[in-house]
Amino acid sequence: MGKLLSSPKLLAIAIAGIVALLVSVAGGALGASFGLGQLGGPIPFISIPAERVAYIGSYPLLNSTIMFWFGGIILLFVAWRAGRNVKDVPAGWQNFMEAIYEFFSGTVDGVAGGEPKSGRRFLALVSTIFLVVVIINWVGILPGVGSVGRIETVEEWVHHHIHDLEELVHDEHPEYSDEQVHGLALVHLLEEHGADTFVAFHGIWVPLGNGEQKRVPLNKIVTFTSDELHKLEDKIKVGDKFYEDAVYQRIEHDIHEGVVKEVFIGGDDNEYDFRGKTAGLLVPYLRGASTDINTTLGIAIVAMFTVQIWGFRALGVRGYGGKFVVNPIKQGPISTFVGILEGFGELTRTMSFTFRLFGNMFAGEILLIAMAFLLPLIGIIPFMGLELFVGVIQAYIFAMLTLVFGVMAVASHGDHDSHAEDH
Amino acid sequence: MDALGITVQQLLTQLVSFLILFFLLYKLAYGPIMGMLDSRAQKIKDSLEAAETARLEAASSAERVEAEIAAARVEGQKIVAEARDAASKLREQEQDRARSDVESMIERARTEIAREKEAAVEEVRKEFAGLAITAAERIVEGSLDAKSHSSLIDKVLEDGIGERKN
Repeated sequence: MGKLLSSPKLLAIAIAGIVALLVSVAGGALGASFGLGQLGGPIPFISIPAERVAYIGSYPLLNSTIMFWFGGIILLFVAWRAGRNVKDVPAGWQNFMEAIYEFFSGTVDGVAGGEPKSGRRFLALVSTIFLVVVIINWVGILPGVGSVGRIETVEEWVHHHIHDLEELVHDEHPEYSDEQVHGLALVHLLEEHGADTFVAFHGIWVPLGNGEQKRVPLNKIVTFTSDELHKLEDKIKVGDKFYEDAVYQRIEHDIHEGVVKEVFIGGDDNEYDFRGKTAGLLVPYLRGASTDINTTLGIAIVAMFTVQIWGFRALGVRGYGGKFVVNPIKQGPISTFVGILEGFGELTRTMSFTFRLFGNMFAGEILLIAMAFLLPLIGIIPFMGLELFVGVIQAYIFAMLTLVFGVMAVASHGDHDSHAEDH
Repeated sequence: MDALGITVQQLLTQLVSFLILFFLLYKLAYGPIMGMLDSRAQKIKDSLEAAETARLEAASSAERVEAEIAAARVEGQKIVAEARDAASKLREQEQDRARSDVESMIERARTEIAREKEAAVEEVRKEFAGLAITAAERIVEGSLDAKSHSSLIDKVLEDGIGERKN
């Protein structure tokens, strides 16, 4: 402490740190209880499916796909620099790539039995999985990923959500016309999602401060009473030119306009007045590819499919296939059952691959968002480091498990066979 | 499936993207690096082997050199000893020759001296004879008594000796 006070530089740093912490606490969720909390980021709408940001023809481009390709390009650039002119005395990128490759070369040989080159067949896939997963994990936590995007208006939101309801209504009442179906679905949507909240945007910015409490419920944007809704529903069911009804037209108009109409009481019992502000949801332009199940499932399928190929190539169709398909008469029904379980095991492994990576990275993303809400400005810093670490660990786990499954697949289960012959 | 956002279209997109990435990574990096690592390992193995053989060769050649040096040393010692023998022999010979030379020289000197002495004695004898004749002549000329005879002889002798002396 004496040393701290004697050095003005250290003292200044310490004071700056304490001030930053105090500002952060006051500006965050804790400060919000005392009427402060102006710095807290709003908790955005957390969507498990990746969002569509553009269409190429009729192909919807997801924000996670963009980040996958971005990471891939970085990786290819590094690979190109490393591999374009390999020398015996490595330098620069080659050194870097070689270090990773040598590390995995040693690891696969070690796991595959210790002989040099015994794990060579696993090497390319295992190191690709590691590199790809690491890069998509890391580019996924870059600043701006998940926080820069466009505003999805209430109209777009309704358009997306009404589709399923329309199908439901159509299944229930196939005799209704398309207009009737749409109207009923709209009524159901408002009934079900009336309390869903939207962010009132300040122009193009998501407003800072007070986070969750400031989110506007749908029923303050599209105004209706339950009485009006019931009357409207009856009218639609009759089908008598309901779209000329004043309430229906007002609802349609409100949805189209998408601005906050009423003052509302927030979660902290304060009254908030956002009238006239556009409400909507943030659709990030970019999203970490590993926070999209499609990506993790895709890699998992490639990994497990390749594991099967390794198995068949090492043991032959009878040898490897005999692990799953067992003759119940020759080797007993229990063996057959075990074989079926083995088959399911391969599927569950794929699933566990998928959800392990997805879960960890998605949780990390939410953690960062939550820290921006709880401890704005500084709270995110240690967790960024943590996420970098988690990114490597998850990639390593993915690669190593692929390797282990591969080694298990190519190992001949000779003891199993001889065991069966003994009986 | 819908709630999780899994669609066949997107799943295929990611799957194919991954496969393309895998293929390109293999082409761009793994292939060259793997080949290079293998060739480097081979090179290191080769050079280690070469070093081993070189070491063995060096060891054997060192042994050979050592043996050669030892042989040369023995040879040298032999040569030195031979040279020493030859030198001492030569010296003895020289000494012998010198001695015999000296002896012969002394011998020669001696005979010379003897010869000289004889010659001198001869000459003296000849002189005496002449003197004696001269003295006899004188005696015959003047003479007569024995007394003057002998004094005359003495005088001649003395003169003769004085002449010789002069």
